[in-house]
Amino acid sequence: MRFSNEELLDMYDDIVLARVLGEKIVEYIFSGKIAGSIHPCLGQEAVSAGLIAAFKKSGIKNYGTGTHRSQTVMAYRVGLKNFIGELLCRTGGENGGISGEYHLTNVEKTMIPATGALGGTWGLLAGVAWALKAGGKTREIAFAPYGDGAVSQGSTYEAMNIAALYQLPILFFIENNGIAMSTPVNKQSPLENLADRASAFNMQGVTVDGNDPIAVAEAVLEGMELAANFVPNVVEAKTVRWEGHYVGDDQSLYRDVSFRKHLDDIDPVLHFTEKLKGMGLLDEETVVRVLAEKTALVESTFDEQLQFGLPTREQALDYNRIYSNEAGGEL
Amino acid sequence: MSQMSLGRAFNLAMREEMTRDEKVICIGEDIGVKGGCWFTFSGLYGLFGDKRVLEMPMTESAYTYFGVGTALMGYRPIVEFMFADFATLGFEGIVDMAAKIRYNSGGKNSCPITFVMPQGGGGKNGCHHSQSVESWFANVPGVKIVAPTAPADIRAYYRASIQDDDPVVFIFHRALLGVQGEVPDAIEEVPALKNAGKLVKEGKDLTIVGYHRPLLFAQAAAAEVETETGKSIEIIDPRVLCPFDKELLFTSVRKTGRLFVTHEAPERGGFSAQIVSWVAENCQSDLKAAPVRVCGKNSIIPFGDAEDFVYPSKEEIKAGILKALA
Repeated sequence: MRFSNEELLDMYDDIVLARVLGEKIVEYIFSGKIAGSIHPCLGQEAVSAGLIAAFKKSGIKNYGTGTHRSQTVMAYRVGLKNFIGELLCRTGGENGGISGEYHLTNVEKTMIPATGALGGTWGLLAGVAWALKAGGKTREIAFAPYGDGAVSQGSTYEAMNIAALYQLPILFFIENNGIAMSTPVNKQSPLENLADRASAFNMQGVTVDGNDPIAVAEAVLEGMELAANFVPNVVEAKTVRWEGHYVGDDQSLYRDVSFRKHLDDIDPVLHFTEKLKGMGLLDEETVVRVLAEKTALVESTFDEQLQFGLPTREQALDYNRIYSNEAGGEL
Repeated sequence: MSQMSLGRAFNLAMREEMTRDEKVICIGEDIGVKGGCWFTFSGLYGLFGDKRVLEMPMTESAYTYFGVGTALMGYRPIVEFMFADFATLGFEGIVDMAAKIRYNSGGKNSCPITFVMPQGGGGKNGCHHSQSVESWFANVPGVKIVAPTAPADIRAYYRASIQDDDPVVFIFHRALLGVQGEVPDAIEEVPALKNAGKLVKEGKDLTIVGYHRPLLFAQAAAAEVETETGKSIEIIDPRVLCPFDKELLFTSVRKTGRLFVTHEAPERGGFSAQIVSWVAENCQSDLKAAPVRVCGKNSIIPFGDAEDFVYPSKEEIKAGILKALA
């Protein structure tokens, strides 16, 4: 075990935060407080908690995109308030409520934007990694997360090829939740483990239990260390998507949802709680306290950000937000 | 002043910018020792090495994104597509990523990247190697489109594109790579991309707007028409399509009352339609006749000599000029 008791309890904080954030997002969408389609992270909290733990412990700065279900990791990069403000499309958000959570961009905060069609950003992050290496950065890498869906895009392999050729400081990460929208992973790939695709580029590919935050964190730590030594590599974390593709998607139309009767069997938060209890690190009182704290934090942040207004017409159509310099002065 | 081909002027601009700013890098296929498919990158690899000239495998989709990634981190990448047509593979990186960086960062980040697109006919290379792409990008807020014709303008506006903080689609015409022109020995200051229109020639009876090969045809045809009819024709080379120099256009049309526009891209949805719309909306009372366009046919470009049927010929352009004057 590479993690101290304090680090494990910190990881516990993050996994509970991910659960609460996921549940609140679902609740707020159904109550009409969040616009657009959001893809809930429920069931996949161990991946976010493991990633954040590895980021904190590694001593390696990383630049990365979000994925549809990594809200907690994005909040870690830009700050919870700024993230939730953007999620709510309020002017208190990181980008004034203009970009929404998914397209959030702030290089200074290591937040690199993701793409709607999915599958382009491994190339983007290979460019980030090249720039870090060319700039002589030693403990800085690019962190490139995809789901099992995006990893099928052609440019995924172009990017892995370039990373291998240029020996770039980049960690490719696959959050495999078993289903891309309605398409199960066995209809996407003939491989049991998607990380095996790394071998085509003479790269290491590791697959771990994505429902165990410690397993995720340990694999990501090793992957980050390799990347920092200019050895690009792949880590895959296997988990389970509990909900539909987006909030409101009726997945019973395309998926056997009988597994939902036994969610306790695969609940990463419950399992991690039991594990830490078994280690004597957690008691029921702490469990109740952490849940109450995270719930209060998320609710108060939502409430606070809802006090901000929506972007005005002038803010949404601000020409200077589109072009860096005078470009004719019109949209 | 010295005589220089368009290709040499393009190469010179890159040497000047790479010397001036070590953050300028080149990304593309076969741009290393070979110097690029069109030899427009000749000598750069030897001068600046593999840290500045990045040879890529056949990965337009990923290396377009790769370029954007380096731009996010403070570099000024030049990303070449061997043929502008190949931008189809890089489209997402340009349209969905580069163009939207600034907006989605609330103005905190910009994306200084230049996409080089050699386009157009003349090579008889068929439907995947001869298309014109400016209209593909004209409908995308967030990119600028620069399309000079003369070698001196290629050098000046390519440098301006590289120095610009926004994504620029820089288009030149492949068939003009060897065309010679006067190029100043030194550039004191690179021009702005705003108000970049060039009054190629003054006149009072008709305004011609065109760029690339059709501009050269239009200049020759206009000279003949002037001789034959005694009319005087004004010619504008916009040099930059986005942002477009509308004031130069409107001032000219208000004077002449007539408009003729030509380009190689297909007429339907072509940039000429935008130019005519602007004039209709802003100079209606000045117009003495309906504007005329002579553009590429709304056709697939055939392989071989038959490509000439698709592109506007000098004769078609001359007929169009006469129609606009009637």
